[in-house]
Amino acid sequence: MKRQKKKTIKLANVLAPLIFLAAIIGLLEIYVAVSGIDARILPAPHVIFGKLFNRFGRDLSRDFFYTLKVILTGYCIAIPGGIGLAAICSQSKLLSKAITPVIILMICIPMLTVVPILVLRMGLVIQVRIIAVVLQALPVICLNTLSGFRKVESSKIELFRSVGASRWQIFTKLIFPNAMPQVFTGLKLGCIFSTIAAMGADLAAGNSGLGTKISAYSGSLMTDMAYATIIVVALIGIILFMVVAEIEKKIVVWIK
Amino acid sequence: MSFKNICKVFDKGNDEIVVLDDISFFVREKEYLCIMGPSGCGKSTLLKIAGGIEAPTLGTIEWKGTEYKNGIPKQQLKNFGFVFQQHNLLEWRTVYKNLHLNLEIFNLKGEEWEKRIMEMLKLVGLEAYPNIYPHELSGGMRQRTGIARALVHNPDILLMDQPFGALDAITRKTLSYEMLNLWKKTQKTMLMITNSVEEALLVSQRIIIMNKQGKIVYEIDNTIPVEARNESIGSNEEFIKLRKKLDGIVHDIQK
Repeated sequence: MKRQKKKTIKLANVLAPLIFLAAIIGLLEIYVAVSGIDARILPAPHVIFGKLFNRFGRDLSRDFFYTLKVILTGYCIAIPGGIGLAAICSQSKLLSKAITPVIILMICIPMLTVVPILVLRMGLVIQVRIIAVVLQALPVICLNTLSGFRKVESSKIELFRSVGASRWQIFTKLIFPNAMPQVFTGLKLGCIFSTIAAMGADLAAGNSGLGTKISAYSGSLMTDMAYATIIVVALIGIILFMVVAEIEKKIVVWIK
Repeated sequence: MSFKNICKVFDKGNDEIVVLDDISFFVREKEYLCIMGPSGCGKSTLLKIAGGIEAPTLGTIEWKGTEYKNGIPKQQLKNFGFVFQQHNLLEWRTVYKNLHLNLEIFNLKGEEWEKRIMEMLKLVGLEAYPNIYPHELSGGMRQRTGIARALVHNPDILLMDQPFGALDAITRKTLSYEMLNLWKKTQKTMLMITNSVEEALLVSQRIIIMNKQGKIVYEIDNTIPVEARNESIGSNEEFIKLRKKLDGIVHDIQK
């Protein structure tokens, strides 16, 4: 009975966002058909999806893999970087206070403004985009992780003191696992920030990548292809987010 | 184990708060000693000092013939097991892994220690739940896990800070009887803080009472025979006499 109920809840959790999305697409389809809006401004969703299926392999796949590589490489560097920086900061209140404003500043800076400066120094290389992703994802992972590292109940610290645990043991067996929910919040936000940063980098240093494609299609009034590319970008972010959320469910089992 | 002239002073801004004022007492081997006192009298601080969690400002602790000035050193903590008021289990570890934590910290490896985890779980009636997470357990079961964890590394002395304080009345009573049985079975030295007169009379051999100023004001020998400590203890003459005496003392020190 309980298992059946769990299954129903799980199914409802999957279906609810899909139904909501289908409703938006349906409404958009009706709006475009009824309003007679110019297809160069807002193409019908079925046209956008048609273009996506027909032309993805030919026109978008190369840039898709390029952007995916940028996002994944940058994100994979940002994870240990962000968590490592948070671990260092958590060892000293003063260091933590000194670094936090810089981290917030980094989160606030749009990569669109930083990439041209990086290009001036490094040229139009893929590393510039990866650095942009790292600079955007690392601070958000770090800030959330740091907040998790600070939220340790004093009674838990006393438990570890009562058995004479070392600082390293307290960190690895208490502070780090205790912070896992916040670490995963940072990782999930990091997925979104990585995708946004990669797009910003593409737009500012455009010779390849999905952001460059969006810019090019919009410029030549191929709005349907521009939207199709935006969907691909959104899908990268969503899938990355979902993968991390699934890993979180497997690891953070104590929070329902 | 004996405590000699223990003082604990906390700095609060420009003020100094004396929590423990010249506390001296001893705990006999295999004895079940209870400490009682009003809230804020420093009994939890005293237990933390006994368990090496905090160091005294002044005074010494004598343990196994050695006097320690700055509290119990790390290498001696293996001899102590600490039970907290709230279960204090690690939510991300199963019951088994929570017990395993002490073995990891004390570096106790080998099959005999792994076996001991199951023995301790059996002792507290949780042998069927080794792979359950704390959030899936009831309050009483969590506290039992906390007790099993404190015993798993086979300490000489068990320190308990109001271990049943956060539980409902029925579970509290059940666990008090279980604790008494546990003491009979394991013959460990037990030092327990409690705010319940009945609980103290049921389990202890001696009761120390502190006042609000952080001083020991009474020491009472619990003369109720161990055989009489069962469900009908309430009708035992000695119990009635001691309860009346303790109720009076507790009432007096609250003033």
